[in-house]
Amino acid sequence: MKQSARILFSTLSLAASAFALSTSMSLAQTPDTCVTGVDMATLGPKGIVGQGPHGEKAASPDELKLTDDEAAKVKAGKFKVGISMQTVNLDWSQLQVQGISETLAKYGVTVTGVASAEYQVDKQIADIENTIQQHPDGIISIPVDFTATAPTYKKVGEAGIKLVFMDSIPVGLSSPKDFASMISADSQGNGQIAAQILASCMPKGGTIGLVNFGVDYFSTNERTKGVGEWMKKNRPDIVLKQVDFTDPSKVSQISGDFLTGNPDVKGLFAVWDQPALDTLSSMRAQGIDIPITTVDLGLQSAIEIAKGGPLKATGSQRPYDQGVAEALAMMKALIGQPTPAWVGVQSLPVVQSNVLESFKTVFHKDPPAELVDACNSAKPKCN
Amino acid sequence: MTDIQSPAKAAAAQPGGRSALQHLLQGERPYMLYVAFAVMLIVFSLASPWFLSIDNFLNIGRQTTLVSIIAVGMTFVIISRQIDLSVASTLALSGMSASLAMAFVANNWVVGAAAGLGTGALIGLLNGVLTTRLEIPSFLVTLGTLSGARGLALMVTNTKPVIITNEYYFAIFGEGSVLGIPAPILWTLGVTIAGILLLHYSVYGRRVYAAGGNPTAALYSGVHIKQVTTLAFVLTGTLAGLASLILSARSHAARPDVVQGMELDVIASVILGGCSLFGGRGFVLGTLLGSLIIGTLNNGLVLLGVSSSLQLVIKGAIIVAAVAFTRR
Repeated sequence: MKQSARILFSTLSLAASAFALSTSMSLAQTPDTCVTGVDMATLGPKGIVGQGPHGEKAASPDELKLTDDEAAKVKAGKFKVGISMQTVNLDWSQLQVQGISETLAKYGVTVTGVASAEYQVDKQIADIENTIQQHPDGIISIPVDFTATAPTYKKVGEAGIKLVFMDSIPVGLSSPKDFASMISADSQGNGQIAAQILASCMPKGGTIGLVNFGVDYFSTNERTKGVGEWMKKNRPDIVLKQVDFTDPSKVSQISGDFLTGNPDVKGLFAVWDQPALDTLSSMRAQGIDIPITTVDLGLQSAIEIAKGGPLKATGSQRPYDQGVAEALAMMKALIGQPTPAWVGVQSLPVVQSNVLESFKTVFHKDPPAELVDACNSAKPKCN
Repeated sequence: MTDIQSPAKAAAAQPGGRSALQHLLQGERPYMLYVAFAVMLIVFSLASPWFLSIDNFLNIGRQTTLVSIIAVGMTFVIISRQIDLSVASTLALSGMSASLAMAFVANNWVVGAAAGLGTGALIGLLNGVLTTRLEIPSFLVTLGTLSGARGLALMVTNTKPVIITNEYYFAIFGEGSVLGIPAPILWTLGVTIAGILLLHYSVYGRRVYAAGGNPTAALYSGVHIKQVTTLAFVLTGTLAGLASLILSARSHAARPDVVQGMELDVIASVILGGCSLFGGRGFVLGTLLGSLIIGTLNNGLVLLGVSSSLQLVIKGAIIVAAVAFTRR
């Protein structure tokens, strides 16, 4: 008896996962104003809205321009600079390194090497210690974490080497004592762009889901904060629900489950482009078509925006331009000029109507054939 | 293929005189697994109004596809007293091969599928040959291929994803459905049924049990342990290739950095499903159930809105508890 019950149950449980009716298509009621109702000319913040990790006010990259006199001094200095990255496996990091290297090369500064920590604290500590051994004049680096790497970064200043940070500052370091400048994207501004476009696609009183990175990280926190604050101020009628992920490889599962458990969600914000694409693939599987916006631009997200599918827009960083600003700040520091503690690089709104041009701006090269084809098949809306 | 006299272990797993269904659900089976699964279904159904629905079960089915498919192959590997840590990297590299073949050879789904499955099979062959011919423990061999295959996947396009545009490929592996059942779930069912037939109803399956249960006895009864083991690795690699086709079809692109660490989910499913890490014991349906338990757990915890950090703690505790209860 027990045995047959077991057999029956196992068979049923297997059948439950295999048996299916047709999936319901939940086509969202998006208003006609979606994206088109946003005036691109006034979209996004005019300056930098966010503040630095220590509440600093942002300086503009324009403040870092070198005078002819300064440029001559840099060229005469024959300086050497090392770079320590969290990884070199991202477009973002490759563009940063490209921006830094090309700018430094213009002024005769040599890059001694690019170390990649692969997100590991111990490897980054070793990388920086090894770079110090090469006696460069400066180091440009993005910290993998904020606490464990701090003592090692302090050693950089103590060794008389100039230090410029990307994106965040380890705990307990202050400018100008320990480092010259920190250059980052305006993450909050990026979040605002994503919020503004998403809001244009939402009916009154609708619910938005935020697919947020559950790890305490300055730039991603700022993005989600930017969305929340903009909504509270400009669209208080919109309800916000949030789901967190800590492992980026699990986003597809988590966002799919979140949508199942919250069928009232009619718009989504994902904290960067890959989670947005993973969310998109789980939406496709469930036959859900609701607008998504995000931050950051990659080739695949550009193609999705060009096609005019659910991915409506992104507030993009400009990693190449950020690299240029980092190089300029480093050179100013090398010749003993004062540099702003925090420099914010302005956000770039990317939608279907400007995706090709935006791709050029961000990547500093012509859009690849796949993107041009996707855009051509969605003419005239795509440009 | 000549039939062999199975050694005692294999015979124990093959009790005669029962119906096929009884045979699948009996023998050296962790009955607690079914109880655990049932309890979980009941708890989640009561706790979340969204859990008990066809759509949500399809969700779970889709989400567990990759792990389930590879875990079927891993069942063969673990029963034959080996382990394969390279499956997630194999999946990444196979996906890159499939997408690159469609981009540069011919934009045809058959070409992509052949390249993906072929790459998986090749890595499996490499694992098998290194393990059996050089007699290096498979833990170390596959730790090496885990790193090597991931590195190659990242190298081929200098870490860039490859976009896929073939609609047939999307339909067959990712987004199509038959009678409302999504393609990934159909693939999972197909692989599971094939795995059951191969492991429990074929000469090869008996040899796998023999090789893992008592290698010395198996050797004396004329089982080519090296061939049997190598084939288990090839099977697992090929299934990782199939999983790569499903993942890349779903995301319309192949990325070199996907599913890092998934080998642990695969191994957990197999062990949870009643396989012994010391070889000689295990069954395909248990593996599928193990994978579904982990998938259901992931799904239910999100539906309940449990914080992501607490989810990890609960998941770990439940896996350990389930294995502890199912050990005889």
